[in-house]
Amino acid sequence: MNVVEVKNLAFAYDSDSPALNGVTFRVKEGDYVAIIGHNGSGKSTIAKVLMGLLSDYTGTVKLFDMLLEKESIEKIRSRVGIVFQNPDNQFVGSTVADDIAFGLENRCIPHEKMQSIIEKYASETGMSEFLNREPESLSGGQKQRVAIAGVLAMKPDLVIFDEATAMLDPKGKAEIAAIVSKMRKENPKLTILSITHDVEEAASADEVLVINDGKAFLQGTPNEVFSHEKELHSIQLDIPFVPGLINELKRQGFSVPENIKTLEALEDYLCQ
Amino acid sequence: MTFTLGKYVPYNSPVHKLDPRLKILATILLMVCVFMNYGSWAMTFTMEAIIFVIAAVLLYMTRTRITTILRSLKSLWMVIIFLLLIYAIMPTNNPTFPIAFRVEAWNWTVYWDSFLQAGKILLRLIMMIELTMILTSSTKPLDLTFALEWYMTPLKVIHFPAHEIAMTISIALRFIPTILEDTTRVMKAQESRGVSFTHGKLSRRIAALTSLIIPLFVSAFMRSDELANAMECRGYDPRGKRTRYRMLKWHWYDFLCLFLVVALATAFIWVAVDPRFSSFLKFPLEVH
Repeated sequence: MNVVEVKNLAFAYDSDSPALNGVTFRVKEGDYVAIIGHNGSGKSTIAKVLMGLLSDYTGTVKLFDMLLEKESIEKIRSRVGIVFQNPDNQFVGSTVADDIAFGLENRCIPHEKMQSIIEKYASETGMSEFLNREPESLSGGQKQRVAIAGVLAMKPDLVIFDEATAMLDPKGKAEIAAIVSKMRKENPKLTILSITHDVEEAASADEVLVINDGKAFLQGTPNEVFSHEKELHSIQLDIPFVPGLINELKRQGFSVPENIKTLEALEDYLCQ
Repeated sequence: MTFTLGKYVPYNSPVHKLDPRLKILATILLMVCVFMNYGSWAMTFTMEAIIFVIAAVLLYMTRTRITTILRSLKSLWMVIIFLLLIYAIMPTNNPTFPIAFRVEAWNWTVYWDSFLQAGKILLRLIMMIELTMILTSSTKPLDLTFALEWYMTPLKVIHFPAHEIAMTISIALRFIPTILEDTTRVMKAQESRGVSFTHGKLSRRIAALTSLIIPLFVSAFMRSDELANAMECRGYDPRGKRTRYRMLKWHWYDFLCLFLVVALATAFIWVAVDPRFSSFLKFPLEVH
């Protein structure tokens, strides 16, 4: 089943410079798809369209086989969670517990059930000790973990990360990556759409979509996409370490199997 | 930037534990008691003194430091001078005390009443400040917001946006530290570019402030835009039905305090209204 189906999506904030210019892509259930592109390529606009925050776009957008329109927005939003870039600007509650509860309150979850749900997802994101802390005493990574807990508490089928780690330090990034892989292990049906300009993160995805100038530039598995070194360099995108090494090995005449994605797998293969 | 008056001080006192709704009601009732007239001067000062003692005990219970109290009253000295001047100049219509002094040349008489009047107003102001301080230093701003929302709930019948107002206040409170952080960041950034907020002529300092305020506004608007998006994505609908995570609950001690406060206020109102009490106590020399 396709969780997301976008056809010829075009959108312009002002009429002379379109942010999106005919993007077509699909996201299958349970996949981890990374959308990469440099600043201003229009990748964050895709997230906003999918969440129904922008309305006057052209093309068709389908989520869970439902056409995104005014009547279906509420239904779609109840199945999609999004984590934005700025940790401060999505922290609504006055404490960690209040913030996780915010979405539950909106979904009219009974008061009696809230505490146990909050505790469950706080412990899943490692924020149990911080439930009564205020946002100003948390680091950016901790605030993002709270945002993830708030999203997971709503039991979404699709989670969108809109540059969620762009403002974090390497430690914060690693923590978020660990939570994401744990989330996927626990719920294999969970679909993740990660919008990022961190190519290293994209290398660990199932599928990569490269956006440039509002258009889909390349699409495929990380190894496929990152084998197009010249094209990616021409749009100022780097090649992550592992695919870069595989490319180099291939150039030297070694054949590397397609399913190798991580550094560990590559090490094992080379040490054979 | 620090606010001395009205800042919440986390402390586990009995006053902190009380329900914020009760605390608001008690503050209002005690203020009514402070501002009522009790007849003779001796009566008025006795009744005010009782509330003064209550306020002092509560301040002691909330562990408010003496220096904090004195600092909150620091700005009152101008009021004291102003009051004394006003009441000394104004003629006393119905003097209850003998003349304090007389300036024959200007045909100007000052009665002791003037000083008592000024003293009474001053005492009332002090108690108003202290009572508010007890409320705000022992109650989290967010709890105050919830309590206010609770009091405004009946107004929903006439489509008064009680929930929206409470949500707005709680978000504003939530973002105060964030915006303060922005302020120091923008100030540092501008100072590193040569802007000075503390030196130079007043006109230059005011001009320097615009270089602080404009980036601050831009960032605040960007933040609010993103926050609105995040709230919408999380299913927030101000007019929709919502459940509550934080609920205010009445405890037995809240009921006890409610009873005490209402009883006290009733007694005070009775004393103020019943003419038998109006000259129950009298200062020597006082005629009434």
